[in-house]
Amino acid sequence: MTLGVTMITFALLHALPGNLGRDLIANPKATPQAIAQFDRQNGLTGSIWAQYWKFLDKLLHGNLGFSFRLDRSVDSLLATDLPRDLVLGGISLFLSLVIAIPMGIAQAVKRNSVADYAGTAVSFILYSMPQYAAALILIQLLSITFKIFPSEAPGGSWLNMLEHPAGLVLPIGSLTLVSYAYFSRYMRSSAIDTLAQDYIRTARAKGLPERLVLLRHLLRNSVLTVVTLIGVSVPSIITGTLITEQVFNLPGAGLEYFNAAVNSDYEVMLGITVLVGVVTVLGNLLADIAYAMLDPRIRY
Amino acid sequence: MTAALEISNLSTEIKLSRSTVHAVGNVGLTINAGETLGLVGESGSGKSMLGLSVLGLLPNGGHITGGSIKIEGQELVGLPEKELRKLRGDRVAMIFQDSLSSLNPTKTIGQQVAEPVRLHRDVTQREAMERVLEVLDLVGLPKPKERLADFPHQLSGGLRQRVMIAIALACDPRVLLADEPTTALDVTIQAQILRLLDDLEQRLGMATLLVTHDMGVVAGRANRINVMYAGRIVESAPTELLFSSMRHPYTQALLGSIPRLEQDNTKRLLSIPGLPPDLTNPPTGCRFAARCRFATEQCLQQEPPLTGDAQHAFACWNPVDGPAELTESVAHATRAPVQAARAGLGDSPSITISGPGVTQNGIKPLLEIVNVVREYPITAGFLRRQVNSVKAVSDVTLTIHSGESFGLVGESGCGKTSLGKLIVGIEKPDSGHIRLAGEDVFSYRGTKLRKARRDLQMMFQDPFGSLDPRMRVNAILQEPLQIQNIGSQRERDEKVRGILDDVGLPAAALERYPHEFSGGQRQRVALARALMLEPKVMVADEPVSALDVSIRSQVLNLMKRLQIERDMASVVISHDLAVVKYLADRIGVMYLGKLVELGSGDDIYARPAHPYTQALIKTIPVPDPAVEKAKTEVGIRGELPSPIDPPSGCRFRTRCPLAQQICSEVEPPLRRFGGEHLAACHFPLQTPEPDAESSLTTAG
Repeated sequence: MTLGVTMITFALLHALPGNLGRDLIANPKATPQAIAQFDRQNGLTGSIWAQYWKFLDKLLHGNLGFSFRLDRSVDSLLATDLPRDLVLGGISLFLSLVIAIPMGIAQAVKRNSVADYAGTAVSFILYSMPQYAAALILIQLLSITFKIFPSEAPGGSWLNMLEHPAGLVLPIGSLTLVSYAYFSRYMRSSAIDTLAQDYIRTARAKGLPERLVLLRHLLRNSVLTVVTLIGVSVPSIITGTLITEQVFNLPGAGLEYFNAAVNSDYEVMLGITVLVGVVTVLGNLLADIAYAMLDPRIRY
Repeated sequence: MTAALEISNLSTEIKLSRSTVHAVGNVGLTINAGETLGLVGESGSGKSMLGLSVLGLLPNGGHITGGSIKIEGQELVGLPEKELRKLRGDRVAMIFQDSLSSLNPTKTIGQQVAEPVRLHRDVTQREAMERVLEVLDLVGLPKPKERLADFPHQLSGGLRQRVMIAIALACDPRVLLADEPTTALDVTIQAQILRLLDDLEQRLGMATLLVTHDMGVVAGRANRINVMYAGRIVESAPTELLFSSMRHPYTQALLGSIPRLEQDNTKRLLSIPGLPPDLTNPPTGCRFAARCRFATEQCLQQEPPLTGDAQHAFACWNPVDGPAELTESVAHATRAPVQAARAGLGDSPSITISGPGVTQNGIKPLLEIVNVVREYPITAGFLRRQVNSVKAVSDVTLTIHSGESFGLVGESGCGKTSLGKLIVGIEKPDSGHIRLAGEDVFSYRGTKLRKARRDLQMMFQDPFGSLDPRMRVNAILQEPLQIQNIGSQRERDEKVRGILDDVGLPAAALERYPHEFSGGQRQRVALARALMLEPKVMVADEPVSALDVSIRSQVLNLMKRLQIERDMASVVISHDLAVVKYLADRIGVMYLGKLVELGSGDDIYARPAHPYTQALIKTIPVPDPAVEKAKTEVGIRGELPSPIDPPSGCRFRTRCPLAQQICSEVEPPLRRFGGEHLAACHFPLQTPEPDAESSLTTAG
């Protein structure tokens, strides 16, 4: 899987117009000899297969390449960006689940009531709102009007971020709102399906209070269907934060990728794409493992 | 003495978004401790809603509009939810139909049985577990201690239903509501579970409400039977009295429409025309009037009250007296093709043999199934390596003649559906041959294979799942003709109309979608679809098992008529021996992938040679209290062994009362028991023909 991702990315990037050597030297008068020399020095000669092989070899040794534009290795770039993304994306993913699961169940239980319609309306508004809009509203409200939280996120390493939690409230909040909308919709429909199951009726026939019916018999079975979604959304911890990063001036992998794409910084693009590919596969694997743990019927 | 359960004038409604279903109307019944009351009705008659009303567990929008429900004198209607909850699972418990969906798949059975005990009894975890082991033992779960940590999907259907019963019994309820407790089970397991319920009721002295659609199930074990129709109780009487001298025409027709083993299958089954009324808008007057043979003007105007004495009450203006003739006097037309074929062979039974591998003199068999094997691989691990296989069909040899109707019976998992799929060529045998008119179906390729499929059609069990919900009936019926490129559009239209008429549907049905039809009508559409290409062989897989009793006989009569009118061989697959015997001339009994007995309907029913066949006949619940009460044994003990690793030798030996050493060592060959009657058993219940074995081995 991951191998396939690297292959396709590599091929696509090579199909793009432009020549790294010519671009870098950025001199229209660069002689073909100079370009050839640069290419040779940096291992850019040979067929596309040979180049791919070289890239793969470096990759397996943990070397994602070197960005000539930023004059930094892609590894070191990601080493600072990734933990920041993880803090941001991980916390917001966790928070949105903690809110969305009980809300989804509550809406399913009170289906077609005023409260359910209100919940649905909120979810739809959040879901259809562009991410930056949610962020800007939060800034306007909590940072400019009421001056509770700063609008700029703390920079530096992830440790520095955690030391200034106030600065994290708004970026995490805006990310959470959007993914909450997504998860609560799925959780609601999953819980509605589970509520209609015969074993819920059996549980009630035992005389269980409704709260225990939900807690013991509904929760685990209805979360099952959402687990796959969580797995699929793991890569967005890294990629999905582009706009939030931009708005809160918080450099992360998403922003890095955007800059790389604008500047034709192939090595960075390739590095991040490979990383996202790996994380996607990992996310799905984790979801499968979680699924097998939650559902005794599944055996791999 | 106060009755354990006393319901009077109970009415229940279910509010839908635009209408209200009057599910239960003015129902009253009484059950004393230690008694069983059978509540019989078709789906939609309100019988399940009655059970759920008692528990206060009506679906969304459902509520009790009037009447009273008393448990040991305590009124339940109007009781606050909190008080009601204390009763549920403690003094009133319910057993549901489908044990797989009614148990939580992610909790162990130990946890699920312990739950009501912990809830209603002031016990420690340890004491609760002791009680769990006690009830699991009570319901006959073998080695309960080892099963505590099992999940529901790890148990077989029969054992799961025992767990379901254990949950209900965990707190010693006074009233047990059993809603179709055996409907999802095989007949052999059904007999075991019914026996268990009987036994428990006597030992524990509970009052049992046995809700079912099957008259045979209640015949042997209910003290009283209430018959429900369209939300009303139409007749209530002690079991014997109800069967011998019913007064309501519905009860009479219901009993008459059930096909029976001893019945003459050349006569039409009694059937109830039409459909039950829509309960969102019930008719004025008697609710059965529209379908009743005896209905008069009064029946349409005024609703009959429940009259008669406390012993035998019924709601009818023109009551009948006793059972109807089992069959209508109209006989089906005789089966011309088969008779002709047989007549040409002379009278000697030794020539009319059509057993495995034996060809009839002069007449080529239509379909030959020779040593057919089908195994489904089980794979495991990363590389999907095949580790084992499910032996669905093992070395089956069978011959079917044109115009003949052949029946296949057996428990679920015996391979009868797999064999049906092989016959119509949906699946390919792993080895062996299937020849249609002498040619191997699977030697065909491309256009020729497509042409061959014309002659082999299948009608499926579930009329809800097997018709495309987004296609109109017209498109469903035209599709086979389009695929096979038959006729012009005008000819196709004509043909569709002709077939529709044949299966008894109005021409207006063409423009409708499947969901607009009732189950019985849908099965007529499915039958019409299978007949569109005028197949030489039609396989009908459980054609009526998804239908209600009163609708079932309509479809059976229709299938019987079409079998006779068309020169077509049919293979009827069913778990219900009575259905197969009614539709088929010859019957094959399958057990765990093997054909164990083969013979005419009478051979199988009156002279079974294989112990399995005999036990199968014994376990079928018969709608006759005298027969049911006389049954002393459960028939077959234990469960169907796994088809992944079937027993050596004779596959039935693990459950056979006659099994001896040789049965585990040597697989018994099919031996001849006179005429076309064959069975594979070392210790048959009939005497085999002396020379049978040699003639078979040479032919096979």
